[in-house]
Amino acid sequence: MTVVPLTKATRVATLLSGRKRARRPSSSFLRRLLRNRSAAFGGAVLIAAALAAVFAGAIFDADPLDMVGRPYTWPFTDRLHPLGTDMLGRDILVGLVYAARVSLTVGFAAAALSTILGVSLGVLAGYFGGWTDGLISRLTEVFQTMPPLILAVVVVTVLSPSVGSIACGIGIASWPQIARIVRAETLRLRDSEFVQAAVSVGEGHLRIVTGHILPNALPQIVVTGSILVASAILTEAALAFLGLGDPNEISWGSMIGAGREAMRTAWYMTALPGLAITAVVLSLNLLADGLNDVLNPRAGNG
Amino acid sequence: MHRPSAWLSTRRSVLAAGTAGLAAATLSRGAHAGDVAKPGGTLVVVLDPEPAGLVAGISISAPAVAVSSNIFDGLVVLDEAFAPRPQLAESWETSPDGLSITFRLRKDVSWHDGRPFTSADVQYSLMEVTKKTHPRGNAVFANLTAVETPDPHTSVFRFSRPSPVVWAALEGTETQILPRHLYEGTNPIANPWTAKPIGTGAFVFKEWVRGDRIVLERNPNYWDKGRPLLDRIVFRTIRDAGSRTATLEAGEAQYGAMNPVSLADTERLRGSADLTVETRGFEGSAPMYFFDFNMRRKPFDDIRVRQAFAHAIDRTALARTIWYGLAEPATGPIPNYQKAFYNPDTPQYAFDPKKAEALLDEAGLKRGPGGVRLRIDHIPCAYGDDYIRAAEFYRQALKRIGVELRVRTFDLPTYLRVIFTDYDFDTHSAWYSAYPDPQIGVQRRYWSQAIKKGTPSSNASQVADPDLDRVIEAIQVAGDPAERNALIRRFQSVAQEKLPSINLLELKFFRVYAKNLDGISFAPFGGYQSFKTVSTSA
Amino acid sequence: MRKPLPVAGSSRALRYLGLRCLQAVPTVIAIAVLNFFFLRLAPGDLVDTMAGEAGAATPEYMAMLRQLYGLDQPVWTQFLHYLSRLAHLNLGYSFRNSTTVLDLILSRLPNTALLMLSSLAVALVGGVALGTIGARWRGRWPDALISAISTVGFATPLFWIGLMLIVLFSVHLRWLPAGGMTDVEGGRTGLPYLLDVARHLVLPVFSLAVFYVTIYARMTRSAVLEVRELDFVRTARAKGLAPRKVMSRHVLRNALLPIVTMTGLQFGTLLSGSVVIETVFAWPGMGRLAFDAVFQRDLNLLLGVLLFSSCLVVVSNLCTDLLYSVLDPRIEVR
Repeated sequence: MTVVPLTKATRVATLLSGRKRARRPSSSFLRRLLRNRSAAFGGAVLIAAALAAVFAGAIFDADPLDMVGRPYTWPFTDRLHPLGTDMLGRDILVGLVYAARVSLTVGFAAAALSTILGVSLGVLAGYFGGWTDGLISRLTEVFQTMPPLILAVVVVTVLSPSVGSIACGIGIASWPQIARIVRAETLRLRDSEFVQAAVSVGEGHLRIVTGHILPNALPQIVVTGSILVASAILTEAALAFLGLGDPNEISWGSMIGAGREAMRTAWYMTALPGLAITAVVLSLNLLADGLNDVLNPRAGNG
Repeated sequence: MHRPSAWLSTRRSVLAAGTAGLAAATLSRGAHAGDVAKPGGTLVVVLDPEPAGLVAGISISAPAVAVSSNIFDGLVVLDEAFAPRPQLAESWETSPDGLSITFRLRKDVSWHDGRPFTSADVQYSLMEVTKKTHPRGNAVFANLTAVETPDPHTSVFRFSRPSPVVWAALEGTETQILPRHLYEGTNPIANPWTAKPIGTGAFVFKEWVRGDRIVLERNPNYWDKGRPLLDRIVFRTIRDAGSRTATLEAGEAQYGAMNPVSLADTERLRGSADLTVETRGFEGSAPMYFFDFNMRRKPFDDIRVRQAFAHAIDRTALARTIWYGLAEPATGPIPNYQKAFYNPDTPQYAFDPKKAEALLDEAGLKRGPGGVRLRIDHIPCAYGDDYIRAAEFYRQALKRIGVELRVRTFDLPTYLRVIFTDYDFDTHSAWYSAYPDPQIGVQRRYWSQAIKKGTPSSNASQVADPDLDRVIEAIQVAGDPAERNALIRRFQSVAQEKLPSINLLELKFFRVYAKNLDGISFAPFGGYQSFKTVSTSA
Repeated sequence: MRKPLPVAGSSRALRYLGLRCLQAVPTVIAIAVLNFFFLRLAPGDLVDTMAGEAGAATPEYMAMLRQLYGLDQPVWTQFLHYLSRLAHLNLGYSFRNSTTVLDLILSRLPNTALLMLSSLAVALVGGVALGTIGARWRGRWPDALISAISTVGFATPLFWIGLMLIVLFSVHLRWLPAGGMTDVEGGRTGLPYLLDVARHLVLPVFSLAVFYVTIYARMTRSAVLEVRELDFVRTARAKGLAPRKVMSRHVLRNALLPIVTMTGLQFGTLLSGSVVIETVFAWPGMGRLAFDAVFQRDLNLLLGVLLFSSCLVVVSNLCTDLLYSVLDPRIEVR
């Protein structure tokens, strides 16, 4: 699973349509976002998942790794464990709620890392141009030509599997896309009248970048960033499936990884965390779509 | 006549020619009454991982053995009582002083390229390959000083000291006889014939499509007349355990070599109408699963702490939940089925969390804030998810007695470095093969001389105990089998008493194969042996 | 990063091509350097792996292997050897696989290419069709249904889809093989061979295509909606051309442009896109080769695969640029 596709899809769509979009998000941004059904739905699911993650300890005062029941209890057969237990007798519902923590943390941390890397390098390259651009562009190319999943695997292997190293690996593997987008945006904005005006009144580079370029590139960054979160969650699951998970933490990916061995006997162990991932990733994509609609009104509603 | 080892005591060590076929027949009890073995056909075997080379005598690993035992023979083969039976050697004699073994070789054997097999091949294989490029050959055959070749069909092994241990390693699954004419003057590991082997075995190498399949075909000139029965064997490399199960269940493959499916799936497959889950055939490799302490770290130097851990782990529950019954609690470092060596009367540590807590209190490790006495790490071996799940089991078990375990997992090369080079762990769980003789597989866990930095499967706990060393070193020099066996029994008592390592389980490795296969070998190395007696019943 | 393409004059195009190739050289070298040192940060080496697989080893044996593999040399010496080998276009030898790296790559490349190209083709056809339908009935139920299904497909882990397909089609229904690329019986040639491969291709291709269809469907839909509003389409419609003709002749044709770019870019991900699916379906491809190389510390092999795949990406980006400028000289991609 790679981060390439949707980001690029969005990018190409934006290139085709978004060149003349409004410079600043409208003040009624939130209202318009809420009126957008897909965004509202996506946002609601995400908020629910985030709440579950934050208040997991309050909802279930238990260690999700405790072996509390009879192994292989199917969902809806035992009132004590409504979603059943896994092969070690661990409660799946408790696991799902606690796992939201790690999965969302990995997703957001990886996306944050790649956004920070991508935005800084993209702005530097686009704003200064010349040899800075040349150097950063080559670096981007080097990272982009490496298969992202393999790159993530190597990083996680070098650092040994943990929540931090997994987020780090995914982040390092996915920054080039956002760097390319930000660079293109910066290039476009650099030549715009208002930036030229700022240059002519003698504003410093830092002020121009933080005051004019970044705010205008923000919609694009937010949309891409939310898709990065989605694909980071998927990548985490793929890494866990391939055997690279943090053994001390429970994540949806690690639940699938553990359930995969018993897939034929007890598919619910794989299916339930799989559904959780699908729901959250779907919500993130819907939210990204909604954001795109609201922030880039000319792009149609696709 | 001198008997080289106790497990030979049931057998005369000289066997008449021509019993090989008979031996093979006794090894294979798979035939159902009334069924007629049907010659011909293709056997599809699922294999994982792909071997590095196809000559186990050079680059040994479980999958390499499973493939190459079909292509190469050994001098002997072990029967179900661990006694050697003829293979390339028709008969043998051990000199009364135990310093030489004379093997009389089969005369009607030729290599797959048509060249005759002679004693020169045996000499080359032992002295140049096994002693130099086999990962443990150097240690097992340490006392082998020369292989003499008085005539093309006689090989005389000369030893500097009696070495009964070599009988455990002369099987074709461990020490293969390679063609001297293709290897001489080269480094065997880099020799191109390692990827397209020429052997004397029942099957001839056909092709190796990397990442996909290895194909062997029937050797029409095999010395064991009437064998093999199959026309072809196809080994298919399938990396994912779920996919291997699906392939076996769909009937696309009929045989899964070492632990081909996940333990969770075995439970269901044991009820299958088409497939058999067989645990016999691994008594030779004898996987023993244990929990090690880093003896150079506190508080593991205190025996009460180690005893507490032993009392805290419910090994019966471990065998039942994590291994789905495919394991038995171990009572010591040697498995109970190795009857000649096994000592049933050793100190035991029953599951008793209260006693464990009392021992920890006594050792001065009182429960602190949050009920925690001790925070340590644990590294499970990187051989699969089962061992990680077992680590989760220990975490829960030890939590009950106030010990907090942080599990660290790594991929295989990192794991090997962390455990065997950096010794960077508090506790560690893994399995080692005990092999048919404890001198090969068991002493390396307990002997101070086996603390070898950078060497996998050595003494990772770094236990250096004079009592253990004394009995281990006595076993190595004992020539008399009765005396040697007594020492081995004593060794087990000392090991259990000193407890540098908790012997947890005798693992039962397993094969999964179609019920219509006949002639499957259940010998100690049956799980790795040639398919020459295998056929599909009509 | 894409540069504006000069379009007029074939000699300028050629010069551009040469320039791009020249630019690619430092990139490729940088990839080699980065990988070489980065991979060495991972603890353990090939000898550890092989000794681990053997179940036991003596220190002498391990030292002998390290000497044989050249791992006992200082890193800089190893690196210089590696560079000089590369300069001779020699990717080296994989001791873990007892064959040359080039042989391994060449034997796996066609398999991966077959899998990925089939998936891309299926996804392209399916995605364009679905996207066009979605745009045509924008906002009504076919649009909603298509976007719902494709979004769910995109949000579901690939390996999960693959495993579920195996359980259904191979184990329960026994319609399709569970894995591998050819039937184990083998020995087929000609048409029966092709049919056999095709049967094995169905499930992995479908699993991968589910993922890519979404992308193409979304892109087609938004591109069609976009192009539909452009002046020349309005003109065509005003001239009274039948809607279907407008769609096929004007809208779709122009909407395809970004999709071409996209497909070109996907070419580059050919190697990595399939590690998971190759694992699930035991498909003997490049992704799995690279993945296993990481865990076996088979650095020669991993470096070879990464270098090879990087070159492929560089070349495919170049081709995409060229193709793009040929298809539509008006559009400048940055």
